[in-house]
Amino acid sequence: ESVHQDSKTAGVPLIDFVQQLEDYAPTIPDSVTAFYLNRAGLECTDPRITRLMSLAAQKFISDIANDALQHCKMKASGQSSKKQNKDKKLVLTMDDLTPALSEYGINVKKPAYFV
Amino acid sequence: MASSMDPREVSRRKALKVAVSALVYEVGFEKAEESVLETLTEMLQSFLTELGRSCRGYAELAGRSEGMMTDVFMALVDMGQNVQSIQSHARRHTKSVFLPPAHTAAPTT
Repeated sequence: ESVHQDSKTAGVPLIDFVQQLEDYAPTIPDSVTAFYLNRAGLECTDPRITRLMSLAAQKFISDIANDALQHCKMKASGQSSKKQNKDKKLVLTMDDLTPALSEYGINVKKPAYFV
Repeated sequence: MASSMDPREVSRRKALKVAVSALVYEVGFEKAEESVLETLTEMLQSFLTELGRSCRGYAELAGRSEGMMTDVFMALVDMGQNVQSIQSHARRHTKSVFLPPAHTAAPTT
């Protein structure tokens, strides 16, 4: 596994990585990813390719959630320490997600009619 | 929108939502608003659909009917994703895995 530590080198390690996906279970189930890919008109018989796509999609969401977490923590540190101790639980709110998404160029707006 | 959804799609959508919830939890959140999960689920669905469409485009451009690994990478680069960092995401320590939804009917493609 240590061979793949330097992910800077492109090409060959990436192919090796896809080979390793043979026995890997992504968080998004294979059948679910395959359903959406099929609906988009893509036929994929190789499960490794489906898994690669699952991983790419997962990472996309995970990165956004991580950015939102940084926003959430920054906001919490700005507040008084009294309040911080009171509600230690981290809650992902739209107020944290909106600035995180705007970094990706996505503007989220709540529809005016939405309850 | 809800009226046009068939039950099979609803179950896929639920699976996506579970995956989104797991990813949000892995990052360190303990709770999340419903609207946030719904937004992220929608984005995940869009991402997968766009990736599939782009990948199909590259496969067809090369005269193939089936997507290959290279098509996926081309599609990912097109979408501005960092391909190299997928490896470190795959090897994260807090990985959670779920059982896929039960197969009910033959898929109509």
